[in-house]
Amino acid sequence: MSISEHKRGFFAEEGRGGKRPLLTVSELSAYYGELRALFDVEFQVMPGEVLAIIGANGAGKSTLLKSMVGMMNRGKTAHTTGSIDMRGRRLDQLTTEKIVDAGVTMVPEGRRLFPRLTVEENLLTGAYLPRCREASEDKLVEMLDMFPRFAERRTQIVSQMSGGEQQMVAVARALMSDPQVVLFDELSLGLAPAIVDDIYEKVQQINQAGVTCIVIEQDMKRALRVSNHVLVMLEGAIVLEGDPKDLNEDQVSSAYFGSEIGRASA
Amino acid sequence: MTAEAFNEELYWSVIDILNGLLTGTIIGGYYAMISIGLAMTFGVMRLVNLAHGDFIIVGAYLAVVLLNFLPISPFFTLTIVIPIMFCLGYVLQRVLLNHVSVQAMERKGLSANYGLMAPILVTFGLGIFISHVLLGIFESDARQLKNSLAFSAIRLSEDLNISLLRFIFFGLGIVILILLHLYLTRTHAGRAIRAASDDAEVSPLMGINTAHVYGLALGISMAIAGAAGVMIGMIRTFQPFDGPQFLLIAFGTVIIGGLGSIVGSLVGGILLGITQVLAGTYFGPSAQLVGGYMLILFVLAFKPQGLFSK
Ligand SMILES: Nc1ncnc2c1ncn2[C@@H]1O[C@H](COP(=O)(O)OP(=O)(O)OP(=O)(O)O)[C@@H](O)[C@H]1O
Ligand SMILES: [Mg+2]
Repeated sequence: MSISEHKRGFFAEEGRGGKRPLLTVSELSAYYGELRALFDVEFQVMPGEVLAIIGANGAGKSTLLKSMVGMMNRGKTAHTTGSIDMRGRRLDQLTTEKIVDAGVTMVPEGRRLFPRLTVEENLLTGAYLPRCREASEDKLVEMLDMFPRFAERRTQIVSQMSGGEQQMVAVARALMSDPQVVLFDELSLGLAPAIVDDIYEKVQQINQAGVTCIVIEQDMKRALRVSNHVLVMLEGAIVLEGDPKDLNEDQVSSAYFGSEIGRASA
Repeated sequence: MTAEAFNEELYWSVIDILNGLLTGTIIGGYYAMISIGLAMTFGVMRLVNLAHGDFIIVGAYLAVVLLNFLPISPFFTLTIVIPIMFCLGYVLQRVLLNHVSVQAMERKGLSANYGLMAPILVTFGLGIFISHVLLGIFESDARQLKNSLAFSAIRLSEDLNISLLRFIFFGLGIVILILLHLYLTRTHAGRAIRAASDDAEVSPLMGINTAHVYGLALGISMAIAGAAGVMIGMIRTFQPFDGPQFLLIAFGTVIIGGLGSIVGSLVGGILLGITQVLAGTYFGPSAQLVGGYMLILFVLAFKPQGLFSK
């Protein structure tokens, strides 16, 4: 049942499980100049879920997340077509700043902290939006509580910290804007498994606090374990999606590698 | 040589050195003010602002205009010149320079090299434009902002004194640098400027509008340049085409001190000031500039990233 769920129109009004979707992505295509990286991608994001996106290198996962936060709207070099709707609001027509203000933010691939700012300054920068400023100091304290790993190093320049600590700072920085939806692009990139476990524990904690999470995860098993819903991407399109409980591993890996079975079933 | 003559000579050489250090330091404070704006716009948006020196002169002429209408001391013109220059800078960045920046060229699908080159040409042209407008309005007469303190000095000893005005400007310069530091580290807008300078692509994810932040950066840069212009106008005469000589001082200071650090600009300015004064003392007035350039060349040869850059 899950395999064709992404087909257009199937859940036009109602989303999965009869709930109203938080985000509806329709006919989304993305281009880097002449190169087309996404081909009419369609899916829904339910409020409060953890959605995992998996796929081989170059499948378009990062491009999809970047499109969702307006980072593919850069004129001639990168642009998108199609729509991304958040409860009646067209995110695809907003700038990144406005999308973040609307409650959708991203922890980018490779962390992308501000290297010459301290931990504390990186976090406070995450609360730059006018609606976040007043509570920014409280939020900072909350984050330092939540991430004791860097709490005592709050005045340190972030480029002097380990990769795991930097990833935690990147997650905390995103939370400073009080988001409804956080997109995580390859949290585990270059980190030791034990630290990755720690980080995913935080993601779970964030999700339990009511934040909808979308994660790109290279480790297929982990992706299936942490999520309520999985999208498998191949060559710029979604080739399989469903509840991880309903999908078997063969199905997922054949979709992932684009073997005949994977294609046929999609 | 008698003991007395020897003592006399020793005394004068000590006085010369003290005088060099003192005057050099005082001058350095104002060199720092001349250069900090240039360092900042380069650090934040990679803008090599060739009109920076002309902005300084604009500040001085703005004070001339104000003093024509208002019976105030030149000092008080600062309270008007600084906000006017800030607004000019903000608007200039948003309506002109943001459209020729690295980011703008990328949006047009052009290589980043265009974005580095275009603002250099644009600000070069802007500098020429500004000086001709000033020439058109004020003609080429040398001007000065008249003030009662021009000839007062602080006497530290019989043979050691410094100009009161220069001393005040040194203090004012330090205050402005401290305020700038506090702004950049303690306010949301200030942190946003530094964030955008570290990673412009990701800053929008913090809700930062980089076009606005760049406007603030050039606004601040021009506000400080304007303040420096008023001070310069009180110390010496100026003419419409004097901008480039201040641009050179600013480049020198930035090369010595390194980019992107306020302390670097201050120390760079002081080192340049001391070198110039001591070179002037020992090798005659014509050696002043040569001494300064020698220092710049040495720094470029041995520590091209500047003495204080991290
Ligand atoms: N800045 C860019 N300019 C041009 N093409 C790009 C750019 N970024 C990505 N692409 C291309 O777009 C396609 C999708 O890339 P994307 O980064 O979205 O894949 P991904 O699934 O995130 O891969 P990975 O697992 O390696 O992170 C690839 O063909 C890639 O080469
Ligand atoms: Mg990627």
